[in-house]
Formats: sequence, structure tokens, C-alpha cells
Amino acid sequence: MQTVTAELDLEVSRIIKAPRDRVWNAWVDPERLAKWWIPHPLICRVVSLDVRPGGAFVTEMSENDGPFAPHLSACFLDVLAGERIIYTNALTGGWRPAANGFVTAIITLSDHPDGTHYRAQALHKSHADREKHEELGFHDGWGTVVAQLAECVETKT
Amino acid sequence: MATAASQMSDDLSSIFLALADPTRRAVIARLGQGPASVSELASPFDMGLPSFMKHIRLLENSGMIRTRKSGRTRTCVIDGPGLSNAERWLAEQRKIWEAQADRLEAFVMLEQEGRNADSDR
Repeated sequence: MQTVTAELDLEVSRIIKAPRDRVWNAWVDPERLAKWWIPHPLICRVVSLDVRPGGAFVTEMSENDGPFAPHLSACFLDVLAGERIIYTNALTGGWRPAANGFVTAIITLSDHPDGTHYRAQALHKSHADREKHEELGFHDGWGTVVAQLAECVETKT
Repeated sequence: MATAASQMSDDLSSIFLALADPTRRAVIARLGQGPASVSELASPFDMGLPSFMKHIRLLENSGMIRTRKSGRTRTCVIDGPGLSNAERWLAEQRKIWEAQADRLEAFVMLEQEGRNADSDR
């Protein structure tokens, strides 16, 4: 018998028992970001954290005190201080298209009785060639991107 | 030379491309309940058959569905590793994002405690 469901969106959320500005600072301050962005024992180096639309977001990582290697190279798309960060690795700083982008992340902070509601959503899609752009309704912009939070049903026998 | 990883990533690309469209997601959802003919699948949508067939072909190329023609009827069924590959990949991604949120929470809480301790002095 065939049954239901697994959603293919990706969202994680936490209630963090601290005021919103502290969570925000942990995100937008390079020194603080470096402390939690990458799992220990990897060491994170924040190369660029230019938190404004079009700004570069570049982090590197080092293992066992070895040389730093690329971790993330992305571009901020939207920033609303204290509330929202959206970035994608489909672009690099200054809106330049990246070679291999696959994720758009939407980070949302909102007030919660216990502190801050932290929400991170990741939207994925294929890397697209020209024809695929068309199929994706690429030019429809953000509405389409958000629609790509793919939801769907899986069958299991 | 295509490595297993890049092959996997190409497969994923075509799967996510296929899932990036509401019509195609609806088709997958319907097929989750069992096989259906193309005309049955098309009936809820206000679009011509040629346009609808494009969606079907794209789903077929992504490896998520299989179609079989019998007489004048083409029947579609969910098939292959497509969807479970996508799910496995998403599950891995989820772990990464969960862990990141955990670390952020831990960091902010630690920082908060440090600050409270300072102000208690």
C-alpha cells in the first residue's frame, strides 16, 4: 500500500532565551559569528560579513590548524536589522553570479515570550542552465524562489 | 570523468528542478496515491495537453516517475530512487542546519551568562 508524506522544505527553528539584539549580534559580528558558524574542532575565519543587500558573505575553515579552505561564499540579498537576513551562494558579493550556487537561506528573528524565535529556512534548487531558468520561471523572481520550498509526497510500499 | 558525487548532484539538480513547479508537485502528490493516466492527471489543470506533457516529460527525465503507453492511454507511476535521493540529501542538510542553530543558541546563552555574571559583580 502506498502512503504519505515527507515535506522537502528545510526549516529549523529555536527559541533562544536571550533578547533579539543579542542573537542578531551573534550573527552580524564577525568575531561572534566565527565562534558558532562551523562545528568544532574546525576553526572558522570570517573573510567578509558585509551585512547589506549585495554585500559579500565569505567564510573559511581550517582543520587541525591547517591552511584555511573555502567554506561559504555568498551574497546578502535582503537585510532588515534585528529581524531578517537573506543570503544566497548563487551569487557572490556585488551580485556577481557564482559558479555553483544551490541554496538561499532566510534567517528570521522575532520576539517570543521566552526571548527570541530564531528561524532558518533553506531553499534549494538545481543549478540551472538557460532552458531550466525558463522552466523555473526565473524571471518571476522572489515569489518563485519561495515557491521552491518544495513540498511533496513520497510513496513507500 | 563523472564522479559518483557529481552524478549524484546532477540527479539532485534534475529532481529539485522537477519539484520547483507547483503543477509537477501536484502530479507527484496525486501519483503518491497510485498510478494515473495522463488525462486524469491533467484534468485539474487549466492548460493544454502539450504544455502538460512537458511537465510529465520533465518528471520522467528526472527519474521520479515512469510512464507506460497502452493503446491510447499513457499511465504514470512514481518510480525510481529520485525522491528518496532528494530526501536523503535534505536529511543531511537538515542535520547541518540543526547543528548550526544549536551552536548559535549555545553561544548566545553562554554570552548571556557571562554578561549576567559580570553585572552581578
